[in-house]
Amino acid sequence: MRPLRSWLARRLLLGAAQTVAVVLLVFALTEALPGDAAVALAGDEPDPARVAAIRETMELDRPATARLLDWAAGLAHGDLGTSLVSRRPVSAYVADGFGPTLLLASLTVLLLVPAGVGLGVLAARHRGRLADRAISTVTLGVYAVPEFALGVLLVTVFALRLGWLPPTAVGYGTDLLGHPAALVLPVLVLLSRPVCSLARMVRAGMIEALASPYAAQARRYGIPGARIRYAHALPNAVAPAAQHLARTVDWLLCGVIVVEALFVIPGLGTVLMNAVAERDVPVVQGLAVVFGVITVVLNIGADLVTRGFAPRGEVTA
Amino acid sequence: MSAYLDGRPGRGAYAFALAIVAVPLALALFGPLFAGAPDPRATSFTLGGGHWLGTDFVGRDVWRQILLGGRPVVLTALAATALAYLVALPIGLTAALTHRGRLEELLIRPLDILLAVPSLLLILLVATVFTPGAAGLAPLVALANIPDAARLVRAAAAEAASRPAVEAMRLQGETWWRMGVGYVGRSILRTLAADAGIRLTGVLYLVATAAFLGVGVAPDAADWAVMVDRNRTGLFVQPWAVVVPALLIVALTTGSNLLFDAALDDGGRAERKNGRAERKNGRTERKKGKWT
Repeated sequence: MRPLRSWLARRLLLGAAQTVAVVLLVFALTEALPGDAAVALAGDEPDPARVAAIRETMELDRPATARLLDWAAGLAHGDLGTSLVSRRPVSAYVADGFGPTLLLASLTVLLLVPAGVGLGVLAARHRGRLADRAISTVTLGVYAVPEFALGVLLVTVFALRLGWLPPTAVGYGTDLLGHPAALVLPVLVLLSRPVCSLARMVRAGMIEALASPYAAQARRYGIPGARIRYAHALPNAVAPAAQHLARTVDWLLCGVIVVEALFVIPGLGTVLMNAVAERDVPVVQGLAVVFGVITVVLNIGADLVTRGFAPRGEVTA
Repeated sequence: MSAYLDGRPGRGAYAFALAIVAVPLALALFGPLFAGAPDPRATSFTLGGGHWLGTDFVGRDVWRQILLGGRPVVLTALAATALAYLVALPIGLTAALTHRGRLEELLIRPLDILLAVPSLLLILLVATVFTPGAAGLAPLVALANIPDAARLVRAAAAEAASRPAVEAMRLQGETWWRMGVGYVGRSILRTLAADAGIRLTGVLYLVATAAFLGVGVAPDAADWAVMVDRNRTGLFVQPWAVVVPALLIVALTTGSNLLFDAALDDGGRAERKNGRAERKNGRTERKKGKWT
């Protein structure tokens, strides 16, 4: 067990290395374009004017190292580049899409923790009985289902058959909070996978913690069952789950892209998919850096939380 | 750890999982044999009129598309899983067996960094630049799985590689192939088999999601995920063209996950007797392994 400060330094260093690597990787992709990048990006029938415009916007005439340094310096100042299609700065795209995506993600995480922990504790308390078997089987099954398939089926049932909820968020723009009904299905779909994995982690952790010697000792002291469960066992069960929570950022990000496409929500995922369709490389690169940095930061955060919950659990860096 | 295993429906789990996965798998395997020749195109999004499940967005028979559309999903997923191991195995085995710390760092550190890029984002990034064709999706999905698979191989092989038997083989001057593949490779087979099941489920998810987003597929491809995407516009007129492929994808992914879990359970029971049950619980913890 290393002291906290050196652990923290190592963890932050790894995070910094990951950020640098993401930037390099994203930059390297344009270099990997076959042949002349400007011609490759201009489409099937390259129009000379468009090729020239792309070359100018991406400054393809300058050496790669100079462009990388400029781009990285720009990133440090929040300048993410300029779109090839609209000539708008990429940061404007990010600003446009950030609101809806942040709303979706925060609502999901907000509901994810109580739902996942609740289901996990419920299953652990009824271990081996019907409730546990039902929760275990359903979470295992739903955990593997792609969001789009689940989403489409939910839309068919709740929007088409029952007419309870709107099928998409078309027409609401970025003002999603004003139309909470349009948010129900997207958040439900986003929740589906992370809730399942979190519930399974918490269940396993609870069962292990309740079977441990310290829980048995606490029982011998006559400490009430509820207090053992929630004050002693739960924090130890949540520690690995917190670690896991940040790893699900990966899924949440995938999920956000799919859910925004499915429910036509104008968030970062939609911006990204449009840019991919138009081969608007600077926008894709800028968004990739934003997503990559968010992932790195959240992973560091999760490791810190894990250490807070169970400092003797080894979180290596 | 064993506590994680009980509380499941036991033997019934196999039958349950098989029942769910049987229909989509049979359609994927044998569907194309019964598809027959294409009909002349009819009107878009109609019901009835000689078409059992109606017509799709360009007026093709939905049932025929269903028969054809499972194979690409399953084949791409299998190919991607195989490709991922093809790259991950040599990397992981070399990293575990080498005594040169620097080589190990060189092999494993880049993978740690790749893990920071969300898998779908990685696929989208590469897809923007290369516009992959139908054959391009499998390598892309494999690429997204290599870091995690290589780390798993290394972790599993490191344990086997530190056994006295390997030291003895090293002292006797055995070749790398006999140590790495003959001994270490064989002793991690069980772990690999368990991981392959979990990985295949994850790969199925990624393949279907990428196809839904239009990556690596033709816009009118006969593919369940593409069907869901393209026929969405007619959901209110002709729901079958969306609901049936969506249900098949749900059944395929759910069923395979339940099936692999039931198989793992069995393996876990046998392994636990040897005190090696750790693997089972790793299914979620390992998902994005710890940074080492």
